[in-house]
Amino acid sequence: MDERAGAEFSLDTAAVLAAGESASAIRGRSPWFLAWRRLRRNYIAFAFLGLFFLVVFVCAFAGLYARHVAHIGPNDGRPLGVLHVHGDAIPIVSAGGYLDKHTGEPCPIGAPSDQCELLASIPIGPQWFNAGGRYVLGADSLGRDVAVRLLYGGRNSLIIGIGSSAICVVAAIILALLAGYFGGWIDFVISRFFDIFYAFPVVLLGIALGAALSVNGLHWNLGLFRINLGSGGIGIPLLIISYVLVPYIGRPLRGQVLSLREREFVEAAIAQGASPLRIMFSDLLPNIASSALVFFTLIIANNIVLEAALSFLGAGVHLPTPSWGNLISDGQNLIVTRPWLALAPGIAIVLTVLALNVFGDGLRDALDPRAKVKVEH
Amino acid sequence: MTSKRYRTVVLATIVAMAFVLVVSACGGGGGSGTTAPTPTGKHFANFRIAYDQGIDYLDPALSYTVQGSSIMWNVYLPLIGYKHLNGPAGATLVPYLAKAMPTVTNGGKTYTIYMRSGLKYSDGTPVKASDFKGSLERDFKVNSPGVGFYGGIVGADTCATTPATCDLTGITADDTSGKIVINLTAPQGDFEYILAMPFSSVIPGNAPAKDQSTHPLPANGPYMIQSYNPNHEVIIVRNPNFHASDFAGNVPEGNPDKMTITIYGDPSIALTKTLSGAEDYDAQQPPPDRLSQLQGEHADQLKVYTPANTFYFFMNNRVAPFDDVNVRKAVNYAINRRAMVRIQGGLASPTENIFPPTYPEYAKTNYYPYNLKKAKGLVRDAGVQGMNVTVYASDNETRRAPEMGQYMVQVLNSLGFNAKLTLINAEVYWTTVGAAANNVQIGFADWFQDYPHPLDWIDTLLNGTRITPTHNNNYANFDVTSVNNGIAQLKQQPTLTPSVIRGWSTLANTIMKQYAPWAPYLNVQYVDTFSSDMDLSCYVNHVNYQFDFATICKK
Repeated sequence: MDERAGAEFSLDTAAVLAAGESASAIRGRSPWFLAWRRLRRNYIAFAFLGLFFLVVFVCAFAGLYARHVAHIGPNDGRPLGVLHVHGDAIPIVSAGGYLDKHTGEPCPIGAPSDQCELLASIPIGPQWFNAGGRYVLGADSLGRDVAVRLLYGGRNSLIIGIGSSAICVVAAIILALLAGYFGGWIDFVISRFFDIFYAFPVVLLGIALGAALSVNGLHWNLGLFRINLGSGGIGIPLLIISYVLVPYIGRPLRGQVLSLREREFVEAAIAQGASPLRIMFSDLLPNIASSALVFFTLIIANNIVLEAALSFLGAGVHLPTPSWGNLISDGQNLIVTRPWLALAPGIAIVLTVLALNVFGDGLRDALDPRAKVKVEH
Repeated sequence: MTSKRYRTVVLATIVAMAFVLVVSACGGGGGSGTTAPTPTGKHFANFRIAYDQGIDYLDPALSYTVQGSSIMWNVYLPLIGYKHLNGPAGATLVPYLAKAMPTVTNGGKTYTIYMRSGLKYSDGTPVKASDFKGSLERDFKVNSPGVGFYGGIVGADTCATTPATCDLTGITADDTSGKIVINLTAPQGDFEYILAMPFSSVIPGNAPAKDQSTHPLPANGPYMIQSYNPNHEVIIVRNPNFHASDFAGNVPEGNPDKMTITIYGDPSIALTKTLSGAEDYDAQQPPPDRLSQLQGEHADQLKVYTPANTFYFFMNNRVAPFDDVNVRKAVNYAINRRAMVRIQGGLASPTENIFPPTYPEYAKTNYYPYNLKKAKGLVRDAGVQGMNVTVYASDNETRRAPEMGQYMVQVLNSLGFNAKLTLINAEVYWTTVGAAANNVQIGFADWFQDYPHPLDWIDTLLNGTRITPTHNNNYANFDVTSVNNGIAQLKQQPTLTPSVIRGWSTLANTIMKQYAPWAPYLNVQYVDTFSSDMDLSCYVNHVNYQFDFATICKK
């Protein structure tokens, strides 16, 4: 059977494998072992997981690339710099202006227009590997190395994507366990919290929070619990994105907890005198862990896209700190002559999100082939 | 008025205008030289303009943007105004609603003006001398950003504190004779220019004391605003009650019968529409990477001009670390203005001056040549290395403010500060940096003249006595007694004689050399783009209002 399924790999390989598993094949095996056995046969999912790790790996070493290959930091602009390519000196940002056609000097105010020509200052385009690793993808209008900013931007986008997903899933699990286990007024309050945030379009809510916190940041001091996030870093968008998506994970998990709460093993635990905390975290949590894990994988992709959208609109990561979203925004002014400025971060987002979504689908099928876990908003 | 009667009036007006035009065309020479370039027979049906989103208001009391005043210049007329001419000639003041230029008496403290008789608003009501007083009082009542310009009028202090019941006692108006007398508390050399500002436009005395942008007020200029749909469209049509002959040629009747202003959020779309002929004029600046295409394929459809402007970073003199003059000087040494020209896209000239080069008071200085080492030394000596600094900039891409903000962050970090950038939406940027409570340390700013007089730069932007808690234009909070006294002294000079010009020049250069409240960096050039259907021989670019929509012709 394994051989047959292996010959017909698809995005649903794990589901196909699971459908063909006999009782003897799964008897005595833990759910995690079974999931791993299904997942490892899904070469497509693994290939895309490899792509994701490649992106993470490359971005993680942005500093090394900047120091030893590009020899420039992510925020170091050299608008007057010169690049030597095959013995030619090329300005990193070309000289422009309203210039005399014959002398090249700036035209004085009121000079006849037929004597002058209009030249824009345009940054250098992709040099690929002609300049010893410098300006591989060209420069932006401040003379910064686009490739370096792309890697640093990727690092920030991934930190926000993964970090916000982790915070979001942990918060959603806690709220779902509290609401589903205790029910009553606790469930009512938490569910209404979910409903209220569910009613807002995510991007609009993100923009509103981003705009509100963009000037002064977030500073809470509640004794032991302190938050001090400045407006310029990645902390604010990380927190906003994790906050606005909690209901989208919390609601389906709460539904699962409500269902599990009525099962015999929970009644048995209560009868044995187990505390609510123990039941929630030792009995209920393992049963929703597979769903939470799938949500986590899928929501990383979602959050990377959301970060890009917020940063593109100016409500996410603030310039000059790079992120894939604000790099696209930065590049749109030069989309005609220097399309790589916007294309490169766009392609990076597409590859990363595609990799995470394909792997997430494979993971979902492997963990529970019958589950219909997906993130919608 | 019934519609039939209205049509009759319009018909009679057109016949009368045609008669006047024929007579004036046959009149031959003897022109005064002040006549606007509006040759007869150049009327055309509709001038289509691709505009940006910069219109703040279309109420003459409230608008304080070039985008707003460029439209209203031909709609709401003040008592005196500018010639509709290119270049420095356009800076000459001429009577609009006034019969003649004001008579100044009482040591420069009393201005007497007579209003022309027989003028009517677009709704048919007569234009009265008392409307002028009412218009200025309305400025106070609607909390106009321009009220600071009228602080020298007797009674303005009371109006500033109790605007709802504003009574400018210093102004008397007689509707019968058309006589207007304005009394000032002290002589004010720029007062005639202030009378020519859009805030001084005369509107009906019964105009509501609230924003009328979307319910346009009756016009007394050659055009009237038919409708304004914010962020979408403005329709401007001819004012049926305007007769150019009433204004001795100082106000042209205009060539387009109608102007359709469509607002585009994307400069690239506005440019494409204009080049394809779907619009006649692109009021937005073309994206830098399309300039080569414009130069190569549409060079004869372009006009490049340098309005009187200065782009600068203000440094708050009241907030650390910029309360130390050496730190402010360090920033001036550390910015590379040549690099900033490239970041701007090339269309700019580096400057260290407060005044733009078009001013006679401009005397090019070089106090702060690029010297990063010296700058670092100054910061080190001041002991402020490592201090957190937030750079404010608007998100206005046309001004390249986000790029300049990033550059300043890079500069400050290279000086040893821990700098970050805060981008503020362009619509609220000036309110944000102009509020004392925000304690903005350093920020992007640009200034385009309200009127061609040094007071509009030094007094408005750097006079310590004009610092206000909100809507403050002195973003640097620069307040030096000797400078304030110098401004007060020069302000009283009625005319810009060579010695007065030298006085302003010396004062401006002293401010930069000794106190460096700003880091001026560029004088920016602009591009006007037209469709191939337009005849640019009629193009007029005014010193204040830039491209004059009314005087353009079609091929």
